[in-house]
Amino acid sequence: MIEVKDLTKFFSQNSIKAVDKISFELQKGEVGCLIGTSGCGKTTTLKMINRLIEPSAGEIWVGGLSHLGNDPILWRRKIGYVVQKAGLLPHLTIKQNISLLSKILGRSKNVIEDRVRELMQVINMPYEQYAPCYPVELSGGQQQRVGIARALMEDPSVLLMDEPFGALDPITSNNLHDEFMRLNQKLHKTILIVTHDLSEAFKLGDKIILMDQGTIIQAGTKNDFLKNPASQFVEDFIKGSVH
Amino acid sequence: MKAILFVSLLLSSLNFGHAKQPLVIGSKNFSESIIIAQMLAILLEERFDVPVIRKFGLGGTKIAFDALVNDAIHVYPDYTGTGYSMILKMSGEKAPTKVHQVVSQEFKQRWGISWSHSLGFDNTYALVVRSDDERFKGIHKISQLSGKVSSFIYAGAYEFMERKDGHDGFSKTYSLDFAPKNVIAMGAGLMYSAIRDEEVDMIVAYSTDGRIQAYDLKKLEDDLNYFPPYQASILAKEKTLAQFPKFKEAIGLLEGLISEEEMIQMNDKVDRLKQESFTVARNFLINKRLLLGKINTAKAEIGFINFIKLKKDYLFKIITEHLILTFSALALAILISLPVGIGLTRYQHLAKFVFPIVNTIQTIPSLALLGFLIPFMGIGFTPALVALFLYSLLPLIRNTYTGIQGVDRTYIEVSKGIGLTNFQILIHVEIPMAMPVILAGLRTAVVIVIGTATLAALIGAGGLGDPIFRGVSTVNSNLILLGAIPAALLAIIADKIIGISERFLVSKGIRPK
Repeated sequence: MIEVKDLTKFFSQNSIKAVDKISFELQKGEVGCLIGTSGCGKTTTLKMINRLIEPSAGEIWVGGLSHLGNDPILWRRKIGYVVQKAGLLPHLTIKQNISLLSKILGRSKNVIEDRVRELMQVINMPYEQYAPCYPVELSGGQQQRVGIARALMEDPSVLLMDEPFGALDPITSNNLHDEFMRLNQKLHKTILIVTHDLSEAFKLGDKIILMDQGTIIQAGTKNDFLKNPASQFVEDFIKGSVH
Repeated sequence: MKAILFVSLLLSSLNFGHAKQPLVIGSKNFSESIIIAQMLAILLEERFDVPVIRKFGLGGTKIAFDALVNDAIHVYPDYTGTGYSMILKMSGEKAPTKVHQVVSQEFKQRWGISWSHSLGFDNTYALVVRSDDERFKGIHKISQLSGKVSSFIYAGAYEFMERKDGHDGFSKTYSLDFAPKNVIAMGAGLMYSAIRDEEVDMIVAYSTDGRIQAYDLKKLEDDLNYFPPYQASILAKEKTLAQFPKFKEAIGLLEGLISEEEMIQMNDKVDRLKQESFTVARNFLINKRLLLGKINTAKAEIGFINFIKLKKDYLFKIITEHLILTFSALALAILISLPVGIGLTRYQHLAKFVFPIVNTIQTIPSLALLGFLIPFMGIGFTPALVALFLYSLLPLIRNTYTGIQGVDRTYIEVSKGIGLTNFQILIHVEIPMAMPVILAGLRTAVVIVIGTATLAALIGAGGLGDPIFRGVSTVNSNLILLGAIPAALLAIIADKIIGISERFLVSKGIRPK
């Protein structure tokens, strides 16, 4: 469903490569977690998949389509995108935030209304109570749920999430993790999550991809990481994260 | 409707002497100039049945003269001495006939402008003190004051302080040792009450001002003949005179008509007794049997409310002029500034060039900017519109630019990430989020434009400044209030409208609580 091949990014000719020839793949319905320390290239990788950053080399496939020769705007519209702190637009109500893209795409009022109601039920925020609210009136956790609803609005098969639970307190993020897993059992989206929190990655990810200095150090399941760490670095990373 | 008014105003301001079009009569902004211009206007209207447009109260010799040269007006009254020293920058000649001959010749040659014969009186400068001021006892000639005036406070009109035949030459010729801090320039109409109320000790007055007698002031003799003769006369282009024989005839009727004493009395009626310049001029023409009709003896001193009732047509006219002028300028400025401000956020390197330009425009004094535009655009609506437009550019462009620059990049990236195009981001994210800042700029622009628009009266664009400046020059508080109150109300109402529009244009989510 998502596949990247020899994906590379350098920001100027002489600089070191932010992402250096990485390849991985996620099957339909699989949840992948890109993990690593700050500056390891995980966010750059995610943004390349969403075409917010154009790759310097390599190729990306999403839903069988190559990024080469496809318009980035249309590309992004097929992908749900969730960012840290939700990134809700402060001047729009919750309903307007969730439905912004649909409105631009010219969906009818009724279709939008029904879909927003459905999604707000899914994220456990009653439509009547929250639809007319502005982001500033919501808690961080509520905003993040709305951010997820916005990403789901056009029913994309793929979700990209950039540290979606990063700015939340541990109790809230724990609750959201549980909710998120329950939700995805129903939705079966292919999801790539960027995180720096290994326990989050272990909890959510079917596949964990550990990056360092622009390359993939190890990719595999939680068990692979615990039983067969690929290097001393991986062992240290696991230990560091466990503490 | 608005468009029609706009176009007609535009046309009238660009008016040029075709046979069927009215004659445009100008005047400077003091009573005597207005009274003489009224006489000419009334004669043309009532005796010769020629339609006229009154562009009275132009802010100074430079503006009135430029307007005549550029055919923005067809005629205005001036004085031979002013033409000689201020416009031609000549000096030396003192004989009245000789000065008249020089200005007639030079103006004809350079600009095709003709000077009429003298209207019958001179209005020269006169150094004036209070008759009961003990310190000037026994002083009748200016030369008696040489080297003795360092402690006196001395006032003159703005124009006198600047002109070649004015303050500098005058004080040098008589060795008048004024202390610089004691030399005050003020509106010509205000000097007389200032000396009466002992706020200043001596003023350079206009010799035909009625208040010299009324306030018991004493003229000191120009015994060194410093001031050139200032014969009152009427200036018009020769081609206009040739084109309108009736126009030439009307001017001819005024030649030699007015004695100095008569002019003093008429000025006094307007300046001190608050009579209408129109009434004073018309009564005079009837007395001289140039017009048939009844002398209007209506009492001049009336309360403000009655004054408004009497002036309601005029009030409606100046409010309309003011509104059209300010709205057109703002509409034009918004139309230009929003795209420019937005464009600058896209092409940042251009901001380095654009902002210094609009900043500089903002620092040009408004009257200087208006005066600067006259050679290109004449007088009236067009240059006023352009000046106001230029003044509102800075707050609008700057706030559009900074408002959009100030939108947090993360919102733009998220919007891009969910699939919006740059244009959709501009429309749905950047502009709505920048709206409070843009509206703050609009507020500033509105205040600047409504305030500055009063100055437009000085270049014949009418509006609420018209009664204000006429009121200041004739010390008529009714007239001042007639312009000042609506101008203030207009600013308040405009501010309220923007406040209300904020509720619709700025989302509740980003409005400060």
